Amino acid sequence: MTSPALALAPSMAPPAAEPKLKVRDLHFHYDGFHALKGIGMDVPEKQVTAIIGPSGCGKSTLLRVFNRIYAIYPKLKASGSIELDGENILDPRYSLNRLRSKVGMVFQKPVPFPMTIFENVAYGIRHHERLSKADMEARVELALRGGALWDEVKDKLKQNALGLSGGQQQRLCIARAIALKPEVLLLDEPTSALDPIATGRIEQLIEELKSQFTIVIVTHNMQQAARVSDQTAFMYLGELIEFDNTEKIFTKPGKKQTEDYITGRFG
Amino acid sequence: MSTSPAATAIPEQRATRDARHDRLFAGLLKACALIVLASLLGAAFATLWGGREAFGTFGWHFLANSAWDPGNQDYGALVPVYGTLATSFIALLIAVPVSFGIALYLSEVAPRWLRTPVASAIELLAGIPSIIYGMWGLFIFAPFFAEHIKPWLTNYLGNNPDDGHPSWVAAHVPFVGKMFASDYPFGASILTAGIVLAVMIIPFISSVMREVFQTVPTRLKESAYALGSSTWEVVWDIVLPYTRSAVIGGIFLGLGRALGETMAVTFVLGNAMELSSSLLDPGASIASTIANQFSEAVGLQKSALMALAFLLFVVTFIVLLIARMMLRRLASREGR
Amino acid sequence: MDTLYLRRRITNAFALALGTAATLFGLAFLAWILWATLRQGIAALDWKLFTKITAYGDQGGLSNAMVGSLIINLIGIAVATPIGVLAGTWLAEYANRTRLGESIRFLNDILLSAPSIVMGLFVYTIIVLPSTVLTHGNTTFSGFAGGVALALIALPVIVRTTDEMLRLVPSTLREAALSLGVPQWKLTSQILLRAARSGIVTGVLLALARISGETAPLLFTAFGNNFMTLNPLDKMSSLPQVIYQYANDPGDTLHALAWAGAFVVTLFVLLLSLTSRLLLSRKVSHD
Repeated sequence: MTSPALALAPSMAPPAAEPKLKVRDLHFHYDGFHALKGIGMDVPEKQVTAIIGPSGCGKSTLLRVFNRIYAIYPKLKASGSIELDGENILDPRYSLNRLRSKVGMVFQKPVPFPMTIFENVAYGIRHHERLSKADMEARVELALRGGALWDEVKDKLKQNALGLSGGQQQRLCIARAIALKPEVLLLDEPTSALDPIATGRIEQLIEELKSQFTIVIVTHNMQQAARVSDQTAFMYLGELIEFDNTEKIFTKPGKKQTEDYITGRFG
Repeated sequence: MSTSPAATAIPEQRATRDARHDRLFAGLLKACALIVLASLLGAAFATLWGGREAFGTFGWHFLANSAWDPGNQDYGALVPVYGTLATSFIALLIAVPVSFGIALYLSEVAPRWLRTPVASAIELLAGIPSIIYGMWGLFIFAPFFAEHIKPWLTNYLGNNPDDGHPSWVAAHVPFVGKMFASDYPFGASILTAGIVLAVMIIPFISSVMREVFQTVPTRLKESAYALGSSTWEVVWDIVLPYTRSAVIGGIFLGLGRALGETMAVTFVLGNAMELSSSLLDPGASIASTIANQFSEAVGLQKSALMALAFLLFVVTFIVLLIARMMLRRLASREGR
Repeated sequence: MDTLYLRRRITNAFALALGTAATLFGLAFLAWILWATLRQGIAALDWKLFTKITAYGDQGGLSNAMVGSLIINLIGIAVATPIGVLAGTWLAEYANRTRLGESIRFLNDILLSAPSIVMGLFVYTIIVLPSTVLTHGNTTFSGFAGGVALALIALPVIVRTTDEMLRLVPSTLREAALSLGVPQWKLTSQILLRAARSGIVTGVLLALARISGETAPLLFTAFGNNFMTLNPLDKMSSLPQVIYQYANDPGDTLHALAWAGAFVVTLFVLLLSLTSRLLLSRKVSHD
């Protein structure tokens, strides 16, 4: 593999839309391991950007830098810059509260909180805003509708969220994230723990959500990336190899490594 | 506060307030954790402080003095220290092989459906309060011991049997004759206390052993079986070496229990503040001496009891320290 | 070759037979102890156990000791639970893998098997002695002091289960809450502790089982009292302490009462530990 020169390019961006996130020379280290090596990319607003690559390539790590969730573990360090609407979110002065209300995240496995369905959605809102009971109910309904879950749970809002099916739990987690009205939504392999039918519903949901949110999705499933995303980034060994329109990546990849990965000829 | 896109307009004091609450909360939690530390240190200092008069009066001689004489205000730790060590040593001598046998049976021999119920039953033994062991020892086991076991021991191993003719063992093997000689007619003795303690610590040691035996990778055992090893050979040559440090840790854990136990021994030790070479004579342990005398003690005697408690605390602390370090060694290899 | 095989097979059979014998030996003692307690205890069961106080001696009962035990145990659990849960939370959530955290976790394991009689003397020194001086002898030994002594014994049990149960909570739950911008103290107190609740309750029950039979730490703290009292600042009797006193009595007449008390305590403790075990296994098999 020889392509380090690529990583030195300041940024790779498909043209078209206005960039929401501008990543510049991003490095990430943990325990002496260099996990991200000089990433630069522009994530366009209100589109779906997929990050693909073999496991260990750093795609989840990159996603976890976008809302600084990595900061809860000791010994992890990010350098470089990520600008959200022109402000560097890696700057320690950028408040975590503000960042996390602007950047929502959904994880691999559905993780409902041990409380009722209603409370799961209301919990995050309550931390950021003080709403009247009626306003809160309206807001929760809006979020659950946004998460395409309302019709299934509207009669059992007071039941424990752990009673929902895996796919429903994941849509609840999406509803919980969009309830904060974030601008960016990070999805970390959101369907890897789900069956095909539940996966289909989530993909459909992603399609619906992109008119309101800038979505970044990490997936190990290439077909999924091809189905849901507008832009696709391919990462390998901590480097961003190629970033372009999804259609182009999957039909006419510019780099040999990308082509090898897409066509399944990967080592 | 407006409800519309309020999420984007979070007041910045909020972050400051969260940070303050986080600090307060973390401080509260840490203070509670430090109470654990404080109670250990406190117990050491309180007993050292209480024993200062005795330590000051007797100095190092306190450890070597076998007297315990309230009339002459002369106190030494030798008798209770000897009683504590002797009963605990006897307990280990019995409990270690039995516990190993139980762990062997439960991890390799017993049919699968029998393992959990038998293991739970043995662990039930660990849940019985120590005072119940004491009562059983006092009312059931000590009389049984005096009637059935003690006569046999004095006749065949002691040097002053009823018929006046010591056995070959008593006459030829050093110390044995003295260890099993006794004129004392009752069941309470150092040996009885050691046996009751053994019964008490068997569940502790065997459950640790069983647990650590289960950490041995099945692959390892299967490869040994594949070479034609018998069950016993797998346990002795593979399982035991693999788990050695944790097994020793479990034994020390049992020893720590035995050293500090009060109620199970107080009833069956006889509480004689005299040094005897015979295991069949009554004795005293540190814990039993404190339990028996502290309420009525004053002045120097009270201080001497506190000093004994300090010794007990330091010794058990060291034993338990070793135990936990040994247990941790296997755990860290397991990557836990 | 054949003799080698034979010798190995004999050694094996012999060792396995000894292992089986050791298990039977252990079970035999369990049966012996339980049988003795059951037989003697049931023989001595009588309504007056629950209605009369110890002041009447062999004509009396154990009611004041039962009430005393209840109060002292409640004080012990009430003191140890908040401290233990918060300390365990600190170990699992704030100090995991730090040097101080590891040391305290290690020392907590030692406190778990520290001699209970020494903890009794510790509480005697820090509570009984000062209160004697401060109240000019009006308050000396007390149920409260006994409760604190038991709390010191329950504390490490609760710390350890809380710590272990919280570390079983998947880290994704923490990430999910933090990605909503929830501060750490809210995450810990409202989500993590709730997720680990059933395990922590089990730990508290185990601690209660552990302290219910403790005798040694009560001798110099709660002391004992032949009359009924509900005042935690009075000397207070407890079942284990009365059992100890009655069993040590040279006359035979009190021994039956001691057995009855022993039966009640054993039954209570075994039921508690069975319940908590069941709760725990149900939790484990669910996850």
